[in-house]
Amino acid sequence: MMMATWIVFRREIVQYFTSPIAYLIAAAVLLLTGVVFNQDLAMSIGTKPANPAIVPQVFSFTMVFFAPLLTMRLFAEEKREGTFELLMTAPAPESGIVFGKFFGAWSFYSVLLALSFVYQFILLSISSPDLGHTLSAYIGIWLYGGATLAVGMLFSALTENQVIAAFISMIALMLLWLGDQAGRLIANIDAARIVRGLSLQGRFNSSFAAGLIRAEDVAFFAGMITVVLYVTIRVIESYRWR
Amino acid sequence: MIEVQNLIKKYGDFTAVDRISFTAKKGEIVGLLGPNGAGKTTTMRILTGFMPPTAGTARIAGHDVTTDSLAARGAVGYLPERVPLYPDMTVEAYVSFWAQLRGVRRPKSQVEAVLKRVQLFDRRRTLIRNLSKGMRQRLGLAQALVHNPPVLILDEPTIGIDPQQVIEVREMVQEFGSAHTVLLSTHILSEAEQVCDRVLIINRGRIVAQGKPNQLRQQFESGEHLFVAMEGGDGDAAHVLQNIAAVAAVTPVEGGFQVRIKPKQDGRGAIFDAAVRAGWRLTEIRPISGALEDVFLELVERDKPPGAKPG
Ligand SMILES: Nc1ncnc2c1ncn2[C@@H]1O[C@H](COP(=O)(O)OP(=O)(O)O)[C@@H](O)[C@H]1O
Ligand SMILES: [Mg+2]
Repeated sequence: MMMATWIVFRREIVQYFTSPIAYLIAAAVLLLTGVVFNQDLAMSIGTKPANPAIVPQVFSFTMVFFAPLLTMRLFAEEKREGTFELLMTAPAPESGIVFGKFFGAWSFYSVLLALSFVYQFILLSISSPDLGHTLSAYIGIWLYGGATLAVGMLFSALTENQVIAAFISMIALMLLWLGDQAGRLIANIDAARIVRGLSLQGRFNSSFAAGLIRAEDVAFFAGMITVVLYVTIRVIESYRWR
Repeated sequence: MIEVQNLIKKYGDFTAVDRISFTAKKGEIVGLLGPNGAGKTTTMRILTGFMPPTAGTARIAGHDVTTDSLAARGAVGYLPERVPLYPDMTVEAYVSFWAQLRGVRRPKSQVEAVLKRVQLFDRRRTLIRNLSKGMRQRLGLAQALVHNPPVLILDEPTIGIDPQQVIEVREMVQEFGSAHTVLLSTHILSEAEQVCDRVLIINRGRIVAQGKPNQLRQQFESGEHLFVAMEGGDGDAAHVLQNIAAVAAVTPVEGGFQVRIKPKQDGRGAIFDAAVRAGWRLTEIRPISGALEDVFLELVERDKPPGAKPG
């Protein structure tokens, strides 16, 4: 399985770094984060310390849209091109294929995140930000990104149409994102706590982005990645029975 | 190398493969011949480990495809009906990817060798999206061969490519036959006859006949097909031809008639005699090709479920 993971991973990485869509997304993310960073910096002058978590916060919302775009190809394209049948008849377990694709996507995302360090260097050169706060925000957004990419890949595994895959996973991620707001509206305290507990926004904005690394939040994202990957493997296996 | 016993595959209530049994020995090229929907692809998908059978067993190089799936899959090279390609990869990277996924540790020399074998070596840095149809087909073969599997399973490898390339692909497949066991599906009888050592005729999920191509042809020889044209035939020519004892069927065609002669009968002589009696002047009488396809069509026709309309 490790071998298959590694081989699939390598192919995916090459695909990302030669795909125009991936570059477009990278450009869009960096542009957005750049604009927001600039504004925050401009507003902060002489009034408050600049927010060290501003860039990860931009990532957190934009990943609702960019994670589906980054992952829609992963399985949908294989099914459309027929290579899915070759993958399924290669002497490699489904789990290896799923992990390889997931780690490929997560690695590309990690490179995007790393590129945004440039803003932190700028901040560092003109002020003295709380580096612990920055670090916790980045750890959070890295896990958060992994979870959204896993969801995107799951929907790619469910259809052979990339547009449908992206669309449905955007809706799913949006609902997960909005769970926080929904939680605020629910009168029943326990229900509200559960809904907010499942919310991507709630797990990130009020903890990692505020400089807190809480075990339960780490466990939430790690657990979400694990569960979604497990379901994806089952979905891929189910194609043998259709 | 391939051992199949009582294989059954059902899609819901529909039985796509119905108690198929056969074996293929080392170095043999076996053809799976049947019309569309016969169950060829389904059979191959079971043998390649893509889907499990509903019942029955299949072994590849001694490994059961259900209980020992990974080992069985490792022993197969598979070219699906629609050539599966990554359009954005280079020829070389594509073949190398599949080699590695199938356990080849240092694929470079093997990739080189297989690309030379299918005459794509000088295209190795070309993006797959820029290849012609025939080249894609050969690339599909390269992918199936690169890990040097004992068994090759090729699903309609000559479908949709131009005649020159059909010949090339057939020659390559015959070449592979010496080192691999090949199972090839086709709906073209002449192809099966030309390429295969043994042919299994499959229809509606069952094997309806099998044997060496020439044996099969003798067994099911449907007789000669002739094109006949005459002057002075007027309206009753078809009727007169039909009434000749040696004639099995008459079909009016452009400028004359297509006449199928019963097996082992002297059709020409009988038609000449009939022409003299009817006072026609025969302007043309010649054999037409395609008769082999008819053998097979007839066999399939005979196998129609009761009540089905011929056609
Ligand atoms: N996934 C499927 N679900 C339901 N029916 C199928 C499926 N795949 C094939 N069939 C049916 O099974 C029969 C055999 O199909 P197939 O094996 O593709 O035939 P062939 O390759 O000989 O043309 C056809 O009638 C086809 O419609
Ligand atoms: Mg088929």
